[in-house]
Amino acid sequence: MKRAVVTLLVSLGLSILVAVSFSRTNPPTGRDWSLSLAFVICSWVAAWSASWVADLVLPKAQTRWIVPTIFGLGIIAAWEAYVRASAIPVVLLPSPSEIAAKFVAALPILKADFVQTILRAVIPGWLMGSGAGFLAALVCDRNDFLRRGLLPLGNLVAALPIVGVAPILVMWFGFDWPSKAAMVVVMTFFPMLINTLAGLNASGQMERDLMRGYGADWFTTLIKLRLPAAMPFIFNALKINSTLAMIGAIVAEFFGTPIVGMGFRMSTEVGRQNLDMVWAEIAVAAISGSFFYGCLSLAERKVTFWHPSYRR
Amino acid sequence: MKKLLLGAVALAAFASTAHAEKVVLQLKWVTQAQFAGYYVAQEKGYYKAAGLDVEIKPGGPDIAPEQVIAGGGADVIVDWLPAALASREKGNMLVNIAQPFKHSGLMLTCRKDTGIKTPADLKGKTLGVWFYGNEYPFLSWMSKLGLKTDSDIKVLKQGFNVDPLLQKQADCISTMSYNEYNQVLEAGVKADDLVVFKYEDQGVATLEDGLYVEQDRLKDPAFVATMAKFVKASMKGWNDMAIDPKGAVADVLKNDATGQQTEAHQASMVAELNKLIDGSDGTLDVAAADRTVATLLSGGSDPVITKKPEGAWTDVVTKAAAALK
Repeated sequence: MKRAVVTLLVSLGLSILVAVSFSRTNPPTGRDWSLSLAFVICSWVAAWSASWVADLVLPKAQTRWIVPTIFGLGIIAAWEAYVRASAIPVVLLPSPSEIAAKFVAALPILKADFVQTILRAVIPGWLMGSGAGFLAALVCDRNDFLRRGLLPLGNLVAALPIVGVAPILVMWFGFDWPSKAAMVVVMTFFPMLINTLAGLNASGQMERDLMRGYGADWFTTLIKLRLPAAMPFIFNALKINSTLAMIGAIVAEFFGTPIVGMGFRMSTEVGRQNLDMVWAEIAVAAISGSFFYGCLSLAERKVTFWHPSYRR
Repeated sequence: MKKLLLGAVALAAFASTAHAEKVVLQLKWVTQAQFAGYYVAQEKGYYKAAGLDVEIKPGGPDIAPEQVIAGGGADVIVDWLPAALASREKGNMLVNIAQPFKHSGLMLTCRKDTGIKTPADLKGKTLGVWFYGNEYPFLSWMSKLGLKTDSDIKVLKQGFNVDPLLQKQADCISTMSYNEYNQVLEAGVKADDLVVFKYEDQGVATLEDGLYVEQDRLKDPAFVATMAKFVKASMKGWNDMAIDPKGAVADVLKNDATGQQTEAHQASMVAELNKLIDGSDGTLDVAAADRTVATLLSGGSDPVITKKPEGAWTDVVTKAAAALK
């Protein structure tokens, strides 16, 4: 306990010392950048030790929620303190308060961008890409010849760089959301294919022999045994794909888009030096991505309740 | 004797480098004839003769020169006045110290088969617009025409190529008279099949390539003197481009690290640019700057800047440059 409190007080003190030493000139000096690094380290230690103290003080039941929250709030407080203390130009780093203000003020724009990117590009693309990957995996499983042919092709598609493929897709599918959804399909196809194939092979030999003993055909074995056993792998792929889908849709929007969409907004607002708007879009992306991932984790919990990883 | 000579040479070299002031210039776009003045000045040794060690950083997509200078990555940048004024209003205090380009080369190029003949015909059409600081003249023009960008016209964020016009994905695209317009012609489209609207003719032209520095640095007389030397040498380079276009193209191509630029394209670029520079000595025409400000302020519901800028340009550097031998 004493160690935690001492660490907290020392790191807080050092952070304050560093904070008052900034030169506050425009542009920042070389010394300012070294001080910034020192501030980042000291304030991170302060936030961490604050959550350490909270962990020691609070009863066990509440620590699961409160300790991470305290750490997160500490980081945000440190961010705000840094921006104010160093007088860093807004064009380089806005403060959390400025971002929150912009978030509230620009809510209609953020909503329009969310609809264009997440609802029209990410979700349909993710569904189509994961669906195609899943069906391809079933085909590959059924037919060894196709497996040997399709896997290297899937490998190739996965290796294509986003920034190379995106302009081509824009030329093929036009400027609007179809090209972004196509980008997402290209990115999500391979992880789903690989994971589903791995999952289909995960069921035990004993269980498969048992199904054979019952006279079950390929399809019945698939539905009753192999797919449920493959679920942890499939959900793994779906969760990976949710992240890839967001990246793919946003990056594809850098390469040609009507003037709405999260990627469009981020890149053009950087050009206009409205960095607070860029960060507000980042916040929307973070919240949507986390929510998407959380929903998938919840579904995974319900479907794969039997998996040993859920035992306490 | 040899050792003495060697020592003397080393001392002289050390002395000259010790006196050379470092200047970092951030360009607005990739290495091309648009910045030939600076490359010619470097190749012909004008910067060295003035005691300057100039590093020219090419720009590109997703590089905003205003951000680079705010972060201390450059001493002087090439930028357009609308973007610089917008940046200044946000607290990044850029000041124009020289204006080599007298006229604007921005145009909207449309396919004739879309039936567009006058700006009023733009209603309901799909227009390609660059962003990253290049959208301000377009937004001002649309405001002047009374066309709303979210309902009266469809705007596409154009990449830095002319494909939307060639692929018929857009009815009109933004082009520079010295670059993308030539790219369209080089792609095989005939000039007769195009309808061109020059921003100069529409009365919504804004000042383009100029040199900008951070306001705080102009408080230092040594920096002003360095910039004066830099501007004088650069304008000499621009002058040389008017006299010897071929030499300018060669100097640009020598510095093109990407190997992307072709001599033919750069030659047509130089020919157009000489019309835009029009013998300028780098002095900013305040009347033209005021016209740009008026165009930007008249943005209607979505003005590019909200109030008249104070101290956004200065003539201390160009005056000092003129006083130099």
